[in-house]
Amino acid sequence: MSTLLEVNNLHVEVEGKEILKGISLKVEKGQVHALMGPNGSGKSTLSNTLMGHPKYKVTQGQILFNGQDLTPLKTDARARMGIFLAFQYPTAIQGVTVANFMRTAMKARFGEAFQSKEFRKTLKGAMASLGVDESFATRYVNDGFSGGEKKRHEVLQMALLKPQLALMDETDSGLDIDALRTVSEGVNRLRGPELGILLITHYQRLLNYIQPDAVHVLVDGRIVRSGGKELALELEAKGYAPYEKETVAS
Amino acid sequence: MLMVEDVRKTAWERYESLPWPVRTDEEWRRTDPKLLPALPAGEKPKEGAFQTGWETPAPELIRSGVILTDLATATKQFPDLVQEYLFQTGEPGQLKKFVALHQAVAQQGLFCYVPDGVKVELPLRSWIEAISGPAIFPHLAIVVGKDSELTLVDERRSAPGAAEPVLSNEMAEIFVGAGGRLRYVHLQRWNSATTELFTQRAILEKEAQFLNITVGLGSKLSKANVETLLRGPGAHADLLGIFFGAGKQHFDFHTLQDHQAPNTFSDLLYKCALADQAELVYTGLIRIAKQAQKSNAYQANRNLLLSQGAKADSIPMLEIEADDVRCTHGVAVGPVDEEQAFYLMSRGLSATESERLIVEGFFEQILKRIPVGDLREQLAEEIVTRLSTHTETGKETLT
Repeated sequence: MSTLLEVNNLHVEVEGKEILKGISLKVEKGQVHALMGPNGSGKSTLSNTLMGHPKYKVTQGQILFNGQDLTPLKTDARARMGIFLAFQYPTAIQGVTVANFMRTAMKARFGEAFQSKEFRKTLKGAMASLGVDESFATRYVNDGFSGGEKKRHEVLQMALLKPQLALMDETDSGLDIDALRTVSEGVNRLRGPELGILLITHYQRLLNYIQPDAVHVLVDGRIVRSGGKELALELEAKGYAPYEKETVAS
Repeated sequence: MLMVEDVRKTAWERYESLPWPVRTDEEWRRTDPKLLPALPAGEKPKEGAFQTGWETPAPELIRSGVILTDLATATKQFPDLVQEYLFQTGEPGQLKKFVALHQAVAQQGLFCYVPDGVKVELPLRSWIEAISGPAIFPHLAIVVGKDSELTLVDERRSAPGAAEPVLSNEMAEIFVGAGGRLRYVHLQRWNSATTELFTQRAILEKEAQFLNITVGLGSKLSKANVETLLRGPGAHADLLGIFFGAGKQHFDFHTLQDHQAPNTFSDLLYKCALADQAELVYTGLIRIAKQAQKSNAYQANRNLLLSQGAKADSIPMLEIEADDVRCTHGVAVGPVDEEQAFYLMSRGLSATESERLIVEGFFEQILKRIPVGDLREQLAEEIVTRLSTHTETGKETLT
């Protein structure tokens, strides 16, 4: 197995406040890692930092993707290398249709290899397999989308942009059980030896559908425990409280 | 009816007696009148040259009385018609000195007339092309008769290679008769040596419908006053604007939605994207007269600042004398949304591509209402081209 993502002692500040206080993490190709933690523990900060959001400042540590240091790279360069972030709250972009957006994104991601002529067909196929209506293509990006539509749209993009590393930020939030199943099936279909996934979630329920290879518990900007998928079940039973006490005590 | 020759005479007197604008005039507070080329006092200014052009309407339209020609020809061939409409929209509230000068000297322009009960199905096209300065005075008259229909796409541009500074002092007069329907697209693409003063007065009679799409891309300075008079009950106006400025372009727009009759409706939306050090000043007045009960008036101005040096100032004003009306106004000014840019860049789009898509989306709401398909696409492309050629300043915040 080769390492896809390696995070070493990562410290991150947002608007002068330290949120991540030394995170280390390794995701191998083909693996699914779940990152769990209570609200405010820094889960979204980690995903935004990995994607290179300008508001998040790395003050210490390293992010290696396929052995290459990501920290000096801008968001778009990271995306073109094969990193994908499925947003917790995808932003609406009025006046830009999903089709236009996807075409532009695929051109950016695949460059010369992008098959312009095949695009309509590819998009239609990907939409069909996620149970998304065809009219989706002509709607404006995330504009007036329901919670479920937004999440499907994120997974649709993930399917089309074929990342090597997918960061999925609370992809389960706001989904009813049917939508959760469709979205999870969509993600499971994309699993393979080349794709690494970092699943960020507050609740264990998503992990019933997408089985992780490893689970990490993030509390107050630090990973306080790592383990196998049984750790998620333990969290489900006991909650985060024991870990929160630990950090207060330390 | 005012006789054209009388109007010209009193206009000249008015021009001579009105003072040259100064910075302390309310109307000129945000646009320095010193930026205007000086005009000689006491004599009529030397007129530059411009050309008018149009696509000749189909023979059956001409047989049914439709006219689209230059103003001088119309004056010769249809003197009574021209007399009936030329300079008959009354005095506008702004740029008075320049309107007076225009009326005193303007001889050329375009005359478009659709008699009562005639529906012109396909869009007509016309244009005015500036050739030389120092000043030109084009006049546009559009008359849409009772229950008639017209779509006119009308362009302002500079002759290829023309580089001499030109002051264009234009007046457009628009009449839409009872039950008439006019869709008027005004496309401003002067070159960067042009200073524009533009006055438009539209008079809408009972149940007239007016869709006005103003597209402003060119000129170094454009000061415009667009007035819409809803004179007949049930008149309806949609007033849309798309403006893109770069370099040191300066736009100063004033609009008036003047509701004079009951059950009238006006909806104004002006969207402007500004790059580099480009500036926009927008002042919009909604006036609802006492007798104009049950009227609806809306006004919104949204501005997207693409560089730190770009500036937009927006001032809505209301004068409402009726008590049973619905009226809203809104203003928004801001840079490209950081989260939108991040979202697009997280899909591999560069900062420039993200900005392009966001600007396209910003204008889409209005572009999609342009009633001519190929023009819609051409404009979308032109905006993208103008966007990509503006100098890359102030982008650091995005990347």
